[in-house]
Amino acid sequence: MSVTAFNSAEFPSITPWECFSFRWFNEGKIAYDGQRLAGLAADRDLHVGFVTSLFIALGVVTLSVPIGMSAAIVLTQVHSKLRTLFYSMSIMPVLFPGVVIGISTVVLWDRIATLGGEGIISELGRNGIFLTILGQTCFISTYCFLIFVARLQRFDTTQEEAALDLGASQTQVFMKILIPYLMPAIGSSAVIAFLASFENYNTTVFSILSEQTLTTVIATKVRLGISPAISALAFVIICLTLIAAILYEFFRRRHERKKALESAEKMSKEISSDRLKESSKKALVLPKSIFVILFLFLVAIIGWQQIIKNNLYGAECIAKAEDAKKSNFADQLKLLQNNADTLETEGGDGGTGSTNEYNDIFGDPNLFKNFGGFDN
Amino acid sequence: MNSFFKKNGSLISTVFLIAITFWLVFLILIPQLYMLDLSFRPNLPPLLRGGPDDVYTLTHYKHFVFGSETSKDTYNYVDIGVFVDTIGTAILVTIINLCFCYPIAFYIAKLATPNATRLLILALIIPFWINELLRSFAIRILFAGEGVINNLLIELGLLDVAVNFIALDVALYTGLTYAYILLMIFPLYNALETLDTNQLEAAKDLGSSTIRTHWRIVIPHAKAGIASGSTMVFMLTAGALATPVVLSSPNTFWFTQLIYQWFNMNDNWSRGSAYSIILLVVSVAFVLLMMRLFKVTIGEVVR
Repeated sequence: MSVTAFNSAEFPSITPWECFSFRWFNEGKIAYDGQRLAGLAADRDLHVGFVTSLFIALGVVTLSVPIGMSAAIVLTQVHSKLRTLFYSMSIMPVLFPGVVIGISTVVLWDRIATLGGEGIISELGRNGIFLTILGQTCFISTYCFLIFVARLQRFDTTQEEAALDLGASQTQVFMKILIPYLMPAIGSSAVIAFLASFENYNTTVFSILSEQTLTTVIATKVRLGISPAISALAFVIICLTLIAAILYEFFRRRHERKKALESAEKMSKEISSDRLKESSKKALVLPKSIFVILFLFLVAIIGWQQIIKNNLYGAECIAKAEDAKKSNFADQLKLLQNNADTLETEGGDGGTGSTNEYNDIFGDPNLFKNFGGFDN
Repeated sequence: MNSFFKKNGSLISTVFLIAITFWLVFLILIPQLYMLDLSFRPNLPPLLRGGPDDVYTLTHYKHFVFGSETSKDTYNYVDIGVFVDTIGTAILVTIINLCFCYPIAFYIAKLATPNATRLLILALIIPFWINELLRSFAIRILFAGEGVINNLLIELGLLDVAVNFIALDVALYTGLTYAYILLMIFPLYNALETLDTNQLEAAKDLGSSTIRTHWRIVIPHAKAGIASGSTMVFMLTAGALATPVVLSSPNTFWFTQLIYQWFNMNDNWSRGSAYSIILLVVSVAFVLLMMRLFKVTIGEVVR
């Protein structure tokens, strides 16, 4: 799919390969039937949707992380009889289909808005962003809840009691002991909440009444007309995630290496005899992943050579392809007109013959043979 | 309650209580109850709601089963057909997913070296950082009329004409199975990892065949994982909206698409609510059935 993002043809495909171009990343084109197929940088809907998605994700994170944290802490403090009930109720949102959660939020707030009359309640209750934040918080809080529960299981409650004995107030205990311990959980649940909200579609499509998020924009594009701009978007997302993953792994390894180095230094200080000091190997160790990288490199080079050989890139290639398509379209338009003309001269019935006309024009199997390149 | 307040201090306790009540009551209970309530009411324009016409009625459920008054069939074959089709496909996809992921999970848990394990898990996880819609779209490109798979088969000479995978529902099944592989593999992997390899070796020493080993030892141990994985896959497939829309053929129509139609296109919110309640009831019933069948508690079902 990432490869199709670079093909200048109008429908995402690898064969027939028209031209290699960055067109779908930039301005897109205006098709010869007047429909505007926008590229990534030119697509206003996409930008608006992206900003809305970001805003909603931030709102969801601010709501669901505290809710998940409170629920997890309270879970550890209730009676065991209440605990199973509480746990089951907290897990429930994950078991609901996303569409059900979206619909119920919209339905409830529509009622509240009608009852609230004029004013801010009525406006809020029909605002797509507000409803989506609420709907997504419902089940994303459960994800945060589970993460906090897992982290809290290993918490040493004696620390809290010791602090209380030493005279701290409860708020201080909470702020200075519990929250620092939960910091990793807060971080990871914030990240997971953000990602889950950003890519959620089922719930959002129902509760985002008149606005759009990134996922709904993609969905409308897929439904209305498939263009490689979607492939371009996918490619960008893939690159971003890969870069993020590589950076994360890189920093993690560096951190681990630093720690290993420190502990080795400490050990060598304690053990000062020469025999126990390991001589560091200076040999070069090839990671196994070098083969994968070499393979990809080879494929890229071969592909590049083909492209240059057949002169398949650049503006002239695009101009040539456009001309070819235009002449094809002109031919088909002429065919259409010929069919219509012959039918007009033949059958002048009007009423009952009209459906026949359509059958003959559009029933011609050769009419749209090479049009679009996809048979439904 | 007193000890709770004393333990956490009044400020923190009130914050907790507000957060939890807001979540459980306002975001979970009340919307579902209201939707249930709405599904029993007739579809009235906003001004007439709450007035004398607003009575409890079963029209929407009756419509689901019997069809509208103007139709001549005894039952609402279209809607019920769509519903049965969706649930049937969801069950089939769950079973296919289970058969497909069980060997993979077993391989990762037991038979692979640690390096291979890490690489495989990474290779499985990375596609899932991409949006679900875009993944279905990628599968659609693969299966398209002039897509990669058709071209490959034609070049290899196995086919003469491009097979329309999408109309044959093959693309739909593949897309749905692929979409939730991760949800099936990880519970299975977690459950299988706790299996003691010595048991497998002991069984082999005592002369049992591989199939028998799996049937008698591995599968009962992985019961919780199987139940958990199948539940999640079934629920997400039955409630999916993105993948069936992208990979749809003229033959497929998904129940969630029907709900969407009633809701947004026909503007009949009560009927949409009624259909959602039906979907919800079936999902929860399936979860309970799985739990009863495999004798697991709800805590083990959710990852």
